[in-house]
Amino acid sequence: MIKIKYIFGIVISIFTVIIILQSCTAQKAMIANKSGAQLWGENCLRCHNTPTPTDFNDEEWKTIGLHMQDRANLTNVEATKIVEFLCSAN
Amino acid sequence: MKKKILFILLSVLSFMFSKAQDSTQKQIQSLQDEISMLKKPLKTHFMIRGFAQFGFDASDDNVNFNMTSFNPVLLWRQGDRFLFETELEMEYMTNQLSVNLGYANASYMITKGLIVKFGKILIPFGSFGEKLHPSWVNKCATMPLGIGHDGLVPMNDIGIEIKGGLQLGSSKLSYALYAVNGPTIKDGTVEPTEAGMLAFDNAIDNNKNKAIGGRIAFLPFQNSSLEIGLSGYYGKPGSSVSPFATDSMSVIRDLNYKTVTALLTAVDISYVKMISEIGGVIDIKGQYTMSEVSKASYINPTDTTRMPYSFNNSSVAYYAQLAYRPAMLENEILKNVELVGRYSVYNTPQSSLWYSNKSQITIGLNYWLTWRTVIKADYQMTTVDNGMSGMTSSSSMTGMSSMGATTSNMILLHLGIGF
Repeated sequence: MIKIKYIFGIVISIFTVIIILQSCTAQKAMIANKSGAQLWGENCLRCHNTPTPTDFNDEEWKTIGLHMQDRANLTNVEATKIVEFLCSAN
Repeated sequence: MKKKILFILLSVLSFMFSKAQDSTQKQIQSLQDEISMLKKPLKTHFMIRGFAQFGFDASDDNVNFNMTSFNPVLLWRQGDRFLFETELEMEYMTNQLSVNLGYANASYMITKGLIVKFGKILIPFGSFGEKLHPSWVNKCATMPLGIGHDGLVPMNDIGIEIKGGLQLGSSKLSYALYAVNGPTIKDGTVEPTEAGMLAFDNAIDNNKNKAIGGRIAFLPFQNSSLEIGLSGYYGKPGSSVSPFATDSMSVIRDLNYKTVTALLTAVDISYVKMISEIGGVIDIKGQYTMSEVSKASYINPTDTTRMPYSFNNSSVAYYAQLAYRPAMLENEILKNVELVGRYSVYNTPQSSLWYSNKSQITIGLNYWLTWRTVIKADYQMTTVDNGMSGMTSSSSMTGMSSMGATTSNMILLHLGIGF
């Protein structure tokens, strides 16, 4: 079991280092440049299907947006843009 | 004379028309005012959402319809920064309705990247308990082994938490730090066969210590497709008062758990991406959890000598899940189909009375009726090996029994709804 833990730890560490290095050299596509629709597609899908914008009204989307900003640890810019996009469909 | 009457009639009619027009104008204006009031952003807003799961399970022994769960989630927003949320967990089990409080907390966004919340919170330990537990989010009809009630992973507790998401160039970082009442350790006085097990669902703390923990997650890619999370949780689960303080035997009177410590660590990973080459969405999830509780002595009720025994109190639980949905297909039926496979393991301490080595394979076929309504058809094989269940004491080896491994199969057909 201890061996498995070490192997698991080493694999994760190497993987993490590779990812960090890659992300440092990746193109800096800032969230500010992304549309609300793009952020909606990318972030909601991490846990569940992307919601249909017309399922809730503007006030409901604001409440759900705050709830999801907390639950999914979205940045404030992401949450604001996603809510604006969802409200724009109403 | 006729002209005079005609003139008076026309005057009366024109007066009445003008009055009616005024009235209609007023009504229109009133309706416009009401609409503009409704469109005005509300300072406070309350709504009920939630999820439910209903099902049909067929095991080797029985075939059973069940109402698995109904979980209303109440959300109350005040302004743009304050939110109160609560989830009620309603389950109908053993002919009784069980209602538990999943969480109930208030959160306030202090700055753009800092939210503080207090109350009964979902513990951000790993990713499953906080993010993936709702029935319409969990892709299988059941939770992975070791997660959920009586599992290895703390799900919720009362305390305070700070959390947030931050932009790091093209990457993202999310963090959560918390202090909660913490676990208790089962001393064996109520459930002797569970002595040494941690219990996380405690409304009242049994000591003055608080459990502390946190989770840091790194999302390296600019499309947020990959998330790697590291979690830690530390607490002292024992009471300062010995549960055996009045025992007649001095060796038992000396037993106490106030110095016992519990350290839980976890690594979780998530990769979700729409890949055009394979025509759909691939979803990979996994979590590896370890629990280390420091060594202590317990009493076995079946041991007539009543000599304390101890064991290495280490447990492990992990799962890996792969799902694929061909969402880019044009066929309306096939694009809503999702294939899921999950392997999970939960090993409890060898030599404890609650030792078991469980593994589970779940193969599922989901059909999405809407973005938040899914029919899940799962085939689940669970292998339980109780091995040599027993204990070691300073003077004797008693209560040993070889149970061997048993495998049970189950077919689950569930409807998961988010509302």
